[in-house]
Amino acid sequence: MRMISIIFRKEMKDMLRDRRTMFFMVFMPFIAIFLVFNLTMRMGMEMESRAREKVMRVAVISRSPVPGFMSLLEGSGEVEVAEAIADSGVTPALESGEVDFVVRFTNDFESIMAREGTGSVDLYYMGSVSENEGALPRIRAIIEGYGESLLQQRLVNRGLASDFAMPLSITEKDVSSARARIGESLGGMIPYFIILFCFLGAMYPAIDLAAGEKERGTIETLLISPASRGQIVVAKWLVVTLSGVFTAAASFTWLFLVLRYGSPVPGEMVAGVMNIIEPGSMLLFLAMLIPLCAFFGALLLSVSIFARTYKEAQSIIAPLNFIVLIPLLIGIFPGVGLNWATALIPLLNISLATKEIIAGTINPFHLLEVFSVLLAMAVAGLFFCTRWFRREEVIFRGA
Amino acid sequence: MITVDSVTKRFKPGLVPVKKAGKCGDHLTAVDNVSFVCRPGRVFSLLGPNGAGKTTLLRMIATMLKPSSGRITVSGRDTVKEQEDVRRRIGFLTGTTGLYARLTPNEIISYYGELHGIGRRELEKRREELFFTLGMEGFANRRTGSLSSGMRQKVSIARTMIHDPEVLVFDEPTVGLDVVTSKAIMTLIRGCRDRGRTVVFSTHVMGEVSLLSDDLAVIHRGRLLFCDTFGRFTEGMRSRTIEDEFIGMIEAAEAQA
Repeated sequence: MRMISIIFRKEMKDMLRDRRTMFFMVFMPFIAIFLVFNLTMRMGMEMESRAREKVMRVAVISRSPVPGFMSLLEGSGEVEVAEAIADSGVTPALESGEVDFVVRFTNDFESIMAREGTGSVDLYYMGSVSENEGALPRIRAIIEGYGESLLQQRLVNRGLASDFAMPLSITEKDVSSARARIGESLGGMIPYFIILFCFLGAMYPAIDLAAGEKERGTIETLLISPASRGQIVVAKWLVVTLSGVFTAAASFTWLFLVLRYGSPVPGEMVAGVMNIIEPGSMLLFLAMLIPLCAFFGALLLSVSIFARTYKEAQSIIAPLNFIVLIPLLIGIFPGVGLNWATALIPLLNISLATKEIIAGTINPFHLLEVFSVLLAMAVAGLFFCTRWFRREEVIFRGA
Repeated sequence: MITVDSVTKRFKPGLVPVKKAGKCGDHLTAVDNVSFVCRPGRVFSLLGPNGAGKTTLLRMIATMLKPSSGRITVSGRDTVKEQEDVRRRIGFLTGTTGLYARLTPNEIISYYGELHGIGRRELEKRREELFFTLGMEGFANRRTGSLSSGMRQKVSIARTMIHDPEVLVFDEPTVGLDVVTSKAIMTLIRGCRDRGRTVVFSTHVMGEVSLLSDDLAVIHRGRLLFCDTFGRFTEGMRSRTIEDEFIGMIEAAEAQA
């Protein structure tokens, strides 16, 4: 224990003085989280509001009279009526952006209305313009409103009440709690970000503590000291694991701070969400990260010990990054649930468990299974790493 | 005292490339049935071309590698069965040994002192002595990353000596160093001998051999071509210089192989 503590303290001191490692552990998560939750979100919200508030330029083509339609358009306040155009001018006018929508009534609209039939209306627009996606429901609602007024007229003509044409009235009622909805949406996102940073945060210390020692020629001086190989590995592994846990905690804090004070989402809304998420569920999430970091630590340290140089270690670890990402991405998709089988899949199990922990629907047996799987991985990882470190051909590979 | 008794070291191919070492079946034999004794108060030089097996042999003495067969003892302790005991008694220095760039000489020396289980007061005393002898007081609290290579070598020497080892292993200690720093290492080796320590060092610099050696072994392709006192070596010389004699030995061995 004394040896482990001596090596551990030295490695911590050495690591804390390394600016690059500290950058990856503290500032990179901040920069990434800020970019995603501030800039990207702000851009998205701006696009959405622009689509919502945009005054739509609409041209109407009609050979026969459409009584009341033009005044309905103008009266909506959302539309600027453009000059009428010919049939052949529809596409050019849309492409040039002169108009956003063209509404074309069928040529015999008047006679169809007279015999109480269905008149076709074509609505032309450019689907490739992203703003139209938000504007389309608005123009549609106006046209449907016109259809509604025509229907009312027909009912009045026949002396029928307006209920006649509406035998059903449907009201959607979502009984899921706000907590469950937040669990589904945030539950996948939080592990995705935090675990990714956790991995990156542990990566640099791991490379520095093994491949870095080889490259600088300090490993021999440590191997010749009275510390055993096992003690050396355990001390280094503790430092790497701790830096992973620290990065997770730092990223988590940044995520909270950026959402609360630095995102375009209204503060009250964030506060509302924060109130719903129980502190206990976040602690439980962070607790799952401890065995995960222990596993990452063993994995990264094993790779790093094998590598001859810093660069070689980096080139082996880079593809590992993607392997870590895949189960986390699957966890974001809706429809994948935690069961005894998915609880066995590392990383995915954390993602799914986090959703259910936040939603408050976690089955304690599944949670126990997730923890057991993570702990087993951590123990197996450390066992492998210590065995690996004792092999001459690994430590003195190419030396 | 170091005894090396019929030691052979084989490596799996591909993992450790051993230049010019003898090939045996699927394995590379880096050290082949080598025996010798290094005595206290004497400097034992290990002379050989690159890839002769010098580093492998010294790493086995220092417990970093295990012999495939044979036995090595340091001060009577087995390097495989009593590794930690051996390491407490050994000081090890190479020309390429690095230092932790973000730590200061003070911190580095304390680190190795603590690893060797030296008590705080004793450590303080030895550190002061070493820093004074080596003239390190001026930069004891600067990060080693900012030190000159000469200063860094002094830190390495202090690191090697902090636990006052009985046995010292130097693997090409002057490689890449300037004349002034090399001379400091030579002085260190001589000082260790004069204090009755066992010293083994490897080199391919003939000047160092004639300056320091009490005993000498010539190693080539993992085998000993000569092993006796330095006096016997010079007596039996057929060439005019040690260098020519050494080259002649290697060429004769090459011709036989």
